[in-house]
Formats: sequence, structure tokens, C-alpha cells
Amino acid sequence: MSNIASSQTAKGGSVSILSVLKDFGNFRAVNDVSIEIRPNEFFTLLGPSGCGKTTLLRMLAGFEAPTDGKILLDGSDISMLPPNRRPINTVFQNYALFPHMTVAENIGFGLKMLGKSAAEISATVKEMLRLVRLEDAGNRSVTQLSGGQQQRIALARALAPKPKLLLLDEPLSALDLKLRKSMQIELKRLQQETEITFIFVTHDQEEALTMSDRIAVMNGGKVLQIGSAHDIYEHPADRFVAGFIGETNFLEGELTASAGGAGTVNLRCGVTVEALTAKSVASSGSVTIVVRPEQLEMVDPGSPQSVDATVEQIVYFGTDRHVHARLGDGTALTIRQQNRPGMREGLAEGQKIGVAIPPRVAQILKD
Amino acid sequence: MASFASTGKIDIKRQTGFGFIAVACLVALYLPILVVLVFSFNNAMSIGASWQGFSLRWYVTLMKNQGFFDSAILSIVVAVAATVMSTILGTMAALATTRVKRWRGQGATMLIITSPLIVPEIVSAVSLLAFFSFIAQAFGISFGILKIVLAHTSFCIPFAYLPIKARLEGMDVTLENAAADLYADRWKTFRYVTLPLLLPGISSGAALAFIVSFDDFTITQLIAGPGETTLPLFIWSRIRNIVTPELNAMCTVLLLVSIAFIILSFVLTKKKQD
Ligand SMILES: Nc1ncnc2c1ncn2[C@@H]1O[C@H](COP(=O)(O)OP(=O)(O)OP(=O)(O)O)[C@@H](O)[C@H]1O
Ligand SMILES: [Mg+2]
Repeated sequence: MSNIASSQTAKGGSVSILSVLKDFGNFRAVNDVSIEIRPNEFFTLLGPSGCGKTTLLRMLAGFEAPTDGKILLDGSDISMLPPNRRPINTVFQNYALFPHMTVAENIGFGLKMLGKSAAEISATVKEMLRLVRLEDAGNRSVTQLSGGQQQRIALARALAPKPKLLLLDEPLSALDLKLRKSMQIELKRLQQETEITFIFVTHDQEEALTMSDRIAVMNGGKVLQIGSAHDIYEHPADRFVAGFIGETNFLEGELTASAGGAGTVNLRCGVTVEALTAKSVASSGSVTIVVRPEQLEMVDPGSPQSVDATVEQIVYFGTDRHVHARLGDGTALTIRQQNRPGMREGLAEGQKIGVAIPPRVAQILKD
Repeated sequence: MASFASTGKIDIKRQTGFGFIAVACLVALYLPILVVLVFSFNNAMSIGASWQGFSLRWYVTLMKNQGFFDSAILSIVVAVAATVMSTILGTMAALATTRVKRWRGQGATMLIITSPLIVPEIVSAVSLLAFFSFIAQAFGISFGILKIVLAHTSFCIPFAYLPIKARLEGMDVTLENAAADLYADRWKTFRYVTLPLLLPGISSGAALAFIVSFDDFTITQLIAGPGETTLPLFIWSRIRNIVTPELNAMCTVLLLVSIAFIILSFVLTKKKQD
């Protein structure tokens, strides 16, 4: 076991997931997934329930064997190693703390199994308790801790053996909103301090956007897009990604010309916009464009380069408001506006407005 | 209706006849035992005699009865050996029927393990008798007291197995996953996580196995050779001689041992159910 999890200097590892398949009976839970994860990256698997995130994570941890494909850690194939031979630790969704052990025994468990000396274990346990800011909890029973504290202990336990890779399966989903926000910041800090590669699973797109270096969006066992939060939000690869991440407007139209990463689209609602093209979009034909609510501008009805709409509902969010409007052809649109002093006046439900799409913000999707 | 409490559940204590039936059941179940207990203190010469005053004389007689001590020691030795073996086997069987991928014959296995609960005891007794005498004739091996231990082990297994299996089924497998994730191999996972969490189930299974073995009469009676007298056999043999309240005293001692183990089993199951 000398080559495993013992290297003190090694920080985050790189992971290559190569064409991994996982079948349960004749159901394909993970379908030809390939991802390269860089050392020391905060990488997120994002997708709806049942899309195969946990299954992929379990294959990384070693609880499931891939039906086909390979998983490399720092270049060496770990696909067939049992969980205890992989320098990878997991933070389980239900924490899975050992109820018959104290906090300190929980945190020290991995090191004990690796045969470390009592002195080293107790020093690391102390260090970990400090890292998760629960210095005084060492002798307590884990069953006496609150959900948030258990969460931190689960993190400390997984970090203590200094793994090359930390897997986190929806670790924050059991916490209430406020605690979740503070744990998000905490996790990010821990990842930066420990320089361990994190693979984080969530179905919460906002959580994914705020925390990740890069995100893989999954659906139906497949990876649809891999990119930074900015990439995925601004340049969604397809309709699913665009719809899953944030609120989005879809508009249908005809692509008439395209050059240099942009194209001209005659929208069915009557206006013509210049929109950005993704890599592999045909140069003409019917297309869908996606435009974010905050990219739309509200103008006077009848203004040039705008389309008339009727306000149906105004939803107030504190920092901003969402105006739900409907175009003449029945298409629904959402416009987001930042709240500024004096903005409340002059907009009512049922009112006619104009909506303008600024050039080169909307994105053409491949159909 | 008055019998519905505010929770919507029926309050059984308010049902007509509850008190009467409860008392009748308690009397039927415990009065004979109570009589045995009380009359063990009777200062009379015969078991059928009326109450003639409180006395510890029969306990004193019992303490001087070498036959009683020999048989009690044999019973304890047999019960301890059968408990240890059946608990180890029961634990292994419980692991093999809960902590593995589903396998063909798993249901049948469970049925076979628990069959001593279903098969009439006299049938088991006769078959064990036939089995041991076949071995003795065919190979000339006589197991002596070991055959009592083996027989007891076989019918104690389900009593050890069932509480252990129940405990395993209630235990979160992600704890074992977590141990494996933290570099514990299979043995260490068992040693440091599964076993400690399983201990209440194992202890209660063992306690049950112990009393089942300690109390057994039918099977032991058929297979025990001369001189291999366990406590129940000793008591039985005494009934056929002159019956004094010493018999009551013996039964009381036996009863106390059983109760002690039942309570122990109960306490251990209750403990750490979280
Ligand atoms: N052991 C199994 N046997 C059969 N099917 C399974 C098994 N594990 C998972 N699946 C199926 O594989 C699919 C993916 O499951 P998985 O748990 O990976 O989803 P997930 O993305 O983690 O979802 P969630 O967000 O709800 O946790 C699901 O349809 C699930 O029913
Ligand atoms: Mg999951």
C-alpha cells in the first residue's frame, strides 16, 4: 500500500474519465462519459435527478466498476482497484459518520487504517478540526452534533488522509439555505487551502455556477457540455443546457447569413438580430436562439429594432424584478431588470412595451 | 366513541373486557410458575403438601446436592459452547444473507437456517439420535458430550441468527462504504465498523441461544448418553423419585437463570438502537 495516499507532498491529482459506460441490467446509467479533470480543480457534475451523477462518482470511488471505459488518476488506471486502494475520499450525502466513534476517532479513521502513528494521527486530527473550525469538538460523540457540524466532520474525515481527489455527493442538500450558503464559501476555502482536486455533485445550478472552476452538465447519463460557469451560462451548447442553467428565453427564426462567429437571424416575431453562433451550426435554415432575461432591454413600444409585447406579470425579487411578457405571436418572454431608485413607476400588468435584443448577445443553438 | 383517543388510535385499556382478559392471561401464564416459586420455600416434606410455613431448607438441601451441581455445570458448559458456536455461525450466516449481491438459493438458505424453529423438536431429536448412532456404528466414534454440544448448536443457530440479521438489515451500508473509502480492507471494515455496530444484535442473539440450550429437554433426553445429565434431565429424573420441594427450588434457580438472560438480551437490544 506504499504508493497509496501516503505521499505527503502530492496535492490534487488529475483525473481522466475515458469513455466510461455503466449498465444496470439493460439500463444505461452512464453513457460514454469522457472528462479530463485538472489537478487542484473544483469540478462540478451538474444535472437533474437520475442523470447518473452518483453512479459516476461511485465509479470514481470504486464502489461500482465501469461496464466499459477507463478511469485514470495521475495517468495510472485505477478502474479495477477496490475503494480502499484508491487515494480518493468521499463526503457522503448522509455524511455516514461512524456513530460508535468520537469526532476525533472519525477524523482519524483513515489515517489509522493507513497505519500511521498515534502521534501523527492526533496531530492531523487537530489540524483538521482547526481547518473546519470545530477545534473543541474532538471528544464529542458524533450523534450529538448538528447537521452543519456533522457536515464539517465528514469533510474533515475525508480530508485527513490528504487524498488526491475528494468526491462530494450533494453534500449540502440536507442543510437549510443559510447554512448552505456559508458552507459553499467554506468548501471553496477548504479546496483552495488544501489544494486537493474536488469533484462536486449537485443538481442546484446556482450552487454549481458560484463554486466551480469548471462544470460538466449531464443529462440521461451523458455529458452535454463541459466548461467554466461563464461558458456554460453564456454559450450553452444545446437547448437542454440553456434551459437547465438559469432562466432563458428561446426564440425561433431563420438564419440567413453567418460569418466570423456571428449570424443574422430573422426571428419569427418580426425582428432581425445579430446573434453569436456556436461551433457547428449550419450556415442557414431554421434555428433557435437563446437570450437571457437580463440581456433583453425594455424600450418604448414601436421603437426601431424592437418587438411589441404585453406585460403579463411583474415578479419582485428584491435586487431585481422579472417582467413576464407575451409577444404578438404568443411567445412568452422574461426580462430581468436590476432595481434602481425610481424604477417602480411606469410599468403595470397589461401595459404595452417594446423589447429589444442587443446585437451579439443572443446565442444560436444547433438544432 | 369514547374508545377513540385524540390521536385517532384505539385506547386498548378502554375496550370492554380488556381488564378481565388481561388478568385471565396473566393468571394462566404466571400463576403455576408463581406456585412453583412460592412452594420452594414451603417447610413441608412433599411437593403436594399444603403450606406449612416459610423455610429455606430445600435450598439448603439443594446446595448440598452434588448431582444438582454436576448437572448444572454440565448444562452451563454445553450452553456456553453451543452459544459460542451458534453465534459465530449465525453471524457468518447473517452476513452472507445481507451483505452480498443477491444470489441463487438465498431464500432457500434462510429457510434452512431457520428450519429448527419449524421442525417439531421431537423429529429433530429422533433424527439426531439416528444420526449419532449411525456415526457411532459406522465409524466407531462416540462423541460423548460433544454430540450434545453439536445438537444444541444446530437448533441454537436460528435464535442467534435472527437478531443479528435484523440488526444488519437496519444498519446503513454507507457506513461500510465509508470505511472502505477510508482505506479499510474487508477485514478491518468488519473489525472496526460492522462488528462494533453489530454487537448489540450479537449479544442478544447469544443470550437467546444460551437460554434455549440451557433449557433444552427433548433433544438432550434422546441423545444424551449415561452420565451426561444436564440440569433439565436431572430435574426430570428427580420427578420420578420421591418428590420434595427441592424440585421447586431447582426450578426456581433454572427460572432465574433464564430470566436473567432474557433481561440481558432485552437490555442489549435496546441499547444503542440509534
Ligand atoms: N444499483 C442500481 N441498480 C439499478 N439501477 C440503478 C442503480 N443505481 C442507479 N441506478 C439508476 O441509474 C440512474 C442514475 O442514478 P444516479 O443515482 O447516478 O442518479 P443521480 O444523478 O445521482 O440522481 P440524484 O440527483 O437523484 O441523486 C437512475 O435512473 C437510477 O435508477
Ligand atoms: Mg445522486
